Amino acid sequence: MELYEFPFHAMGCPCELRFYADKKQTAERVAEQCIAEARRFEYKYSRYLEDSVTTHINHSAGLRPIQIDQETHAILHYAQVCYEQSNGLFDITSGVLRKVWNQDRRSLPVDSELQSLVELVGWHKVELNDDTVYLPALGMELDFGGVVKEYVADTLTVMARSSAIEHGFVNLGGDISIIGPQVNGEPWSIGIVHPTEPDTAIAAIALSSGAITTSGGYERYFDIDNRHYSHLINPKTGWPVESLLSVSVVADKAIVAGSISSIALLNGEVDGLAWLASCDSAYLAIDCALVCHGDLVNTIEKSNALK
Amino acid sequence: MALSTAALSLPAFSASQPPEIELSLKTSVYKEGDVPIHRVVSGSEERYEIDIQQFYLLTPVARNWSLAFNASHETMSGASPWGTVPGIDGRPTLIMSGATIRDSRTELSVGVNRYTDNASFGIGFTHSNEDDYEADAIVLSGEWDFNNKLSTLALGLSYSDDKIEPTDALLFGRVQKEDKRSRSFSISWTQVLNKTSLLQSGLSVTKQDGYLTDPYKLRDVRPDERLEWALSLRYRKFFENPDGALHLDYRYYDDDFGVHSHTVQTAWYQNISEQFQLVPSLRYYSQREADFYLAIDDFTLPLIVNQSSDYRLSTYGAYTFGLKGIFKHNNWSVNISLDRYISNDKYALSDAQFKHPALLDFSLMSVGFDIRF
Repeated sequence: MELYEFPFHAMGCPCELRFYADKKQTAERVAEQCIAEARRFEYKYSRYLEDSVTTHINHSAGLRPIQIDQETHAILHYAQVCYEQSNGLFDITSGVLRKVWNQDRRSLPVDSELQSLVELVGWHKVELNDDTVYLPALGMELDFGGVVKEYVADTLTVMARSSAIEHGFVNLGGDISIIGPQVNGEPWSIGIVHPTEPDTAIAAIALSSGAITTSGGYERYFDIDNRHYSHLINPKTGWPVESLLSVSVVADKAIVAGSISSIALLNGEVDGLAWLASCDSAYLAIDCALVCHGDLVNTIEKSNALK
Repeated sequence: MALSTAALSLPAFSASQPPEIELSLKTSVYKEGDVPIHRVVSGSEERYEIDIQQFYLLTPVARNWSLAFNASHETMSGASPWGTVPGIDGRPTLIMSGATIRDSRTELSVGVNRYTDNASFGIGFTHSNEDDYEADAIVLSGEWDFNNKLSTLALGLSYSDDKIEPTDALLFGRVQKEDKRSRSFSISWTQVLNKTSLLQSGLSVTKQDGYLTDPYKLRDVRPDERLEWALSLRYRKFFENPDGALHLDYRYYDDDFGVHSHTVQTAWYQNISEQFQLVPSLRYYSQREADFYLAIDDFTLPLIVNQSSDYRLSTYGAYTFGLKGIFKHNNWSVNISLDRYISNDKYALSDAQFKHPALLDFSLMSVGFDIRF
């Protein structure tokens, strides 16, 4: 069996599929299907495309409910559970705050400017039914970005397995879902990016099954008046969160790992660690002093010792 | 935790849920009513009684693979019709076998299924054995989902090879060893019409060849080929109020023996509570006789001329009244069912010359137990 690698670009980030297969054609056929499926999700939920489900929903905000299919309903329902579990911190309506907090920002916003946008945020206001969704105020927006990429990683994994790929993984911009261990039974070694030195790995995690996602305030940020502000915004206050630098979570599914790590970041440093400890998943959290927390720390030491 | 539970209802995972192990046991008693004694010239008026034990196991064996195992055992006793002669009124009168036919039948089957996201494929083998009969069959099946799983195409192919070795062949001058083969093909399309209803239409064709005659009858001569085909329609509709589902089925059957039949079956699945479901059902069947059917055996006809007085080839109609109760609790369920079947030439859509004296009434009672884990 040979290892085949298929790099591609989707959902705004570099992605990669790695499959072991007997024949190159088999691997290529499955990769083609997987990439097409990733594109389908990208087009369906893109905020930028005129014809996407997201655009339809957002353009009808304050006007009328929009018919949705079962897949969209299932994703929204999952986002609702995230909202409930995070006490409202994980909120897929918080994207409107980007109007204030974006790369062009050179000075801090005034409260009144934030206030008018915060009023457009709040998942609890959204009316979700079995086959419709309605954003009740003009200007409200949904953003599927916080859940869809991880869900696509899971979907592609299921897809590859059902096409008889047993060894390999799916990597969508750092959200990694394992199809199965390497062909010799060895786990894959997954590198975790160093939060302050983006080209180096701070750790390598050995993984044979499940998924690992990493997110951090280091990814995108703004510097205003010589201060760092992360792109993670508290949807209730409208202000950036002083979060952990980086959180990696291992779970059965990428979508679960991804929401656990996102909620950890939104909680700020102290509450974020408490949230991680309350979840059943293994994690590695790096705080602002570059101190590592969590049960994956042992794995790092081992991997460093091996070097 | 809540997030993992919520993730399970996402479509990508609902399709790949590992199948559960399913185990069922069922015991049934089937009892035919006696034939009217004044229409029997010899033999016993007591007809068949069959005790049936069934065992079924379905288990996942690897990712996307499952194995099914089926075993059943039947023990039967009673008499069966050997032929008909004219009675004093000129109407057919039965020659029955003696009362002590005892036989048992064992059937074993094993099947393997492979699932993908949008399809499943299966292969199965069945072996059945009784004192005078042995059958082996192989079944291939495939199912494909389309239109976001709103449509399903199913194809099936089967082949069976049967060996017949009648008991007491020398004593009664019966054939000693014969065989027959059967090949069939089926195709069906299932369409989800909306949230609460679906429609399935299907066609099946079966070709039998070999020894198709009943070796126990005194005079029974049938063609050595039979081509059968059947068209079916099934409709399911769920009603939120009163929380029940209607099943409505129709089947048309035709063969080159000249038999054709209509079957209409309806059942109502009523949810009484979360745990209890009651299912009353009614089935109507009407058949037109085979071209070579004779109400009274004609022993003067040469042996190369087809003839049969088998009541199953006569013109008749039948009603089946059924009632089933299903009790579910956690991962197990118990079901009890009772069916009453009555048949008569008067129930048929076409007219018969005589009522066949061996037309059946029977009762079937079953108790089943299922568990999934």
